Amino acid sequence: MSNIDNLITRLAQDEIRVKTAPHPFILSLQWMGAAGIYLAVSLTLFGLRPDLLEKFHSVWFVAEIGVLLGILIVTSISAALLAFPDLYQKRNLALAPAWMLALFLLTLFLAWRADNPLIPLPVHSFECTLGITVMSLLPTVWIFSSMRRYASTHYRLAGSVALLSAFSVGALWLRLHEVNDSIVHVIKWHYLPMLAIGIIGLWLGQRVLKW
Amino acid sequence: MIDRTDSFEVLMRQSQNGDQQAYASLLKQTSLFLHTFLANRLRYTNEVDDLLQEILISIHKARHTYDSNRPYKPWVYAIAKFRLQDYLRAHYSDQLRQAIDLEDIEENFQESVTETAISFESISGEIKKLPEKQAAILQLMHQEGYTAKEIAEKMGMNESAVKVAAHRAYKLLRKKLEK
Repeated sequence: MSNIDNLITRLAQDEIRVKTAPHPFILSLQWMGAAGIYLAVSLTLFGLRPDLLEKFHSVWFVAEIGVLLGILIVTSISAALLAFPDLYQKRNLALAPAWMLALFLLTLFLAWRADNPLIPLPVHSFECTLGITVMSLLPTVWIFSSMRRYASTHYRLAGSVALLSAFSVGALWLRLHEVNDSIVHVIKWHYLPMLAIGIIGLWLGQRVLKW
Repeated sequence: MIDRTDSFEVLMRQSQNGDQQAYASLLKQTSLFLHTFLANRLRYTNEVDDLLQEILISIHKARHTYDSNRPYKPWVYAIAKFRLQDYLRAHYSDQLRQAIDLEDIEENFQESVTETAISFESISGEIKKLPEKQAAILQLMHQEGYTAKEIAEKMGMNESAVKVAAHRAYKLLRKKLEK
């Protein structure tokens, strides 16, 4: 144990006064606040879809936006909890995105069922995925650089949830900007790539958040 | 000695405020219960000590993520389990990396790895230049007369791993002696 004693002595001689990390709820509020500002600025620059007010009379559009907003909120809170070694002892809340994603899939399924007669697909396709990705880059960099300051012991899951959170900002932006009513297109080119990117987050978390 | 359940939390709070004595005491107490935790999960004492040091360093690095309003032990155990899993993952993947395809050593099955025409003493200078583990295996085999099985037990390795290490050592030696 002499090595251990030496190490303890050395660690105790180090500068041990530290600025403690903020509460994860504060952290997630900061991220959500920044995401809100980013969304507002980008929508001001690129413009809201002209039929937005009219679309807010459609139940499924409102449900879709509501659940997307829910994903942003829940993944932000979860990512903040996952940045702490013990998940801030709020394990159930940290794993809440699973329930939110299930609700999201259910909403999309019901919206697709309600899409009768089928609204024709727009002419563009992958451009939407590209647009969401580009819009999500800044939130991705910000959330990951913020999480690196802490000590995640679930770095793969943390990476995945953080990336989902960032991409939900991009998805929200596109839904509020683009005039497009085809749910098939939205599922295929907006949300499926977004969920697939969550898997990339597992890898990214391992690369970026491991300490 | 800590006898109150909230003492860890108090010590950590004091440590975060710069009290070095409290911090040393906290780490000392932490190392005691983590030693038991690791000893129940790892086979060798040196592994326990190495990993314990790593965990203490991790606790030091992550101390800003501890909130003294929460219990201390779940926070510490989360870090300890994380480092233990990391260690075991690396340990087993290392074993897999070192595992050799049977086809690669099939041709050497007929050769005795415990016998060689060259005497240990005549090439002991070259043996000392070998990697530490290989040199130790050759020394035990040829100078002290241990069998591969006995060496395996002594060094905490598989018998086949000892034979493979010996085989590699012979290859290296052959190359060096041929020069």
